[in-house]
Amino acid sequence: MKTRSTIWLFLAGLLVLLIGFLINISFGSISISFSEIISGLLSDNWEKESTKQIVLNFRLPKALVAIIAGIGLSVSGLQMQTFFRNPLAGPYVLGISSGAGLGVALLMLAGSAFGLMADGAVFSPWAVVTAGVIGGALVLFLVSLVAWRVNDSMTLLIVGLMFGAGVSAVISILSYFAGAEALKLFTIWGMGSLGGMSWAQVYALLAMLALGLIPVIASIKAYNGMLLGERYAKSMGIDPIRLRWLMIISTGILAGSITAFCGPIAFVGIAVPHLARIIWKTADHKVLFVASSLVGALLLLLCDTVSQLPGFAESLPINAVTSLVGAPVVISLVIRKNFSKEF
Amino acid sequence: MKVLQAKNIHLGYPRKSGLKKVISDLSFELKPNQLTCLLGRNGIGKSTLIKGLLGQLAPSSGEIFLGERDLLELSKEEIAKEIAVVLTEYAMPGNLTVEQLVALGRTPHLKWHGRLSEKDYEAVEKALELTKILDLRKERISELSDGQRQKAMIARALAQESQILILDEPTAHLDLLGRHEIMALLQELAMKEGRAILVVTHNIELAIESAQEFWLLIDQNEMLLGTPEDLIIAGKIKSLIPGETFKFDLEKGKIVFPSENLDLNVSGPENLKFWVEKALEKAQIKKLEQTIEIESKPFSLHYGGQSFDSIKALIDQIKS
Repeated sequence: MKTRSTIWLFLAGLLVLLIGFLINISFGSISISFSEIISGLLSDNWEKESTKQIVLNFRLPKALVAIIAGIGLSVSGLQMQTFFRNPLAGPYVLGISSGAGLGVALLMLAGSAFGLMADGAVFSPWAVVTAGVIGGALVLFLVSLVAWRVNDSMTLLIVGLMFGAGVSAVISILSYFAGAEALKLFTIWGMGSLGGMSWAQVYALLAMLALGLIPVIASIKAYNGMLLGERYAKSMGIDPIRLRWLMIISTGILAGSITAFCGPIAFVGIAVPHLARIIWKTADHKVLFVASSLVGALLLLLCDTVSQLPGFAESLPINAVTSLVGAPVVISLVIRKNFSKEF
Repeated sequence: MKVLQAKNIHLGYPRKSGLKKVISDLSFELKPNQLTCLLGRNGIGKSTLIKGLLGQLAPSSGEIFLGERDLLELSKEEIAKEIAVVLTEYAMPGNLTVEQLVALGRTPHLKWHGRLSEKDYEAVEKALELTKILDLRKERISELSDGQRQKAMIARALAQESQILILDEPTAHLDLLGRHEIMALLQELAMKEGRAILVVTHNIELAIESAQEFWLLIDQNEMLLGTPEDLIIAGKIKSLIPGETFKFDLEKGKIVFPSENLDLNVSGPENLKFWVEKALEKAQIKKLEQTIEIESKPFSLHYGGQSFDSIKALIDQIKS
């Protein structure tokens, strides 16, 4: 049941998101004023050609990727948490990011580990993305094979975690034998990055987001039914098996593609659904999916802004910032509100 | 009105060594317009039977019909429109208000987007009203007592507006008054709205008070069906209580502790005598030399030339 406060919170969230978006674009090694960004974006009226280049080719794609990744990871996390009725579930529990990691590791590390390629060879971003997508899809396929056989969602959760562990072990072995340069490249990929993407990549990611959200829209009602557990869901006409497939497809596309493009971005997927529940004070997924998207986009924009405070040419890896900024925020909220009551 | 009917069903769980049989060869029919109570000892298969009736466990042989159609042919949504359930276990989303919880009952009637229509709100309203929890509507589930939560769960099932209602121990967490209220409500729903209601319960006394039909699950292949009173008179209720330790008191309609031969001389008004004897029995006092005299106004007891103003004082005296 939507109340007036829900809608006000949505509007407020949108406004904050817009401000966050502007701040994100404005901050960086060179500060750009809000008015310049707005007039530039809306009427293509730039003061300097260099500003235009910076905004259009670097900061705008990065801000959009932050928003897309924030939405995708949060929506994946919310689906997992509700489906498994587990507050610790996140977009990566089915081993998708480990799979993407394996794909990228094979590309970056295997060559040098087996001496087939010079250490520290540079790969095109598309090659990395393709490797990530293939790796993620492979693990997803294996998990689906298991999902076909098991009826119990807890078993699926454990199997997903074990797949992740197994795949991580393979990555460790590759890392052990890989050359130093290749290892550094892979480690940096593992820290996550929102920047450095071409517009073609941004559009590709956006398309994946749209694709991954379709199953979510088709199962909003079912997620609400799952709130009371699987047996009640069945008694209310919901088919948990169908929902499970929709969830696997959706989170596979969302978390898989985001990991492939940006690396494994920690923390957002688990934390944001909880923040949305606490702020909107609801368990209704009609509200929660939108709320999580807003909070997720905002959180990742914020983290990205922090990662490159003005005056610094270097930017911190996004993964370090999501955890450093996110953890205290979540801890304070969780302690103040009785967390278990909210889930 | 669709009737739920089982014909020679066998239910069980697959094990490596073959099927673990729980229910075998039972036939029965859940009739509309009445409250049916399913009774049986722990572990006898009541919950399995309910899983079968909900279409969540397919019979290994035999059929369950909902109206004209086999339950297994129906989609979950079609079943959900006809059968609502209150289970013993559930995940508890603390974030939900009572109103939102009850609205979940509308799930099978909603379109894909899950938005509630005017008609859905009316059903929620009616369910809150019937279970007398209108004043709790904005409360969060996590802040309710067990009994209040149970009522909310029943309201959720009512909001589903199904003609068949199956409740697994709905009175388990309720106080004495709450239990009677719920059973009276279920009886009323059965009689006035012609619903078929099946209640699993361990509370024989309450079941006798309210049910029009009993299903006594005695063994995996034996279920006695009939009017409670018929079953009592025929001595069938006793089959729920195997062994000699406990007995079913025909007059009082309840299970009683075995009473040994008491040699107590108590005199006084009958209603007071009953309680005095009961207290003495519990205190393991089985034999008394002299008579206890009970005076009713004001209450006092006389024994061995002494007076006592409470049973406790008397018992303490006798024991010392």
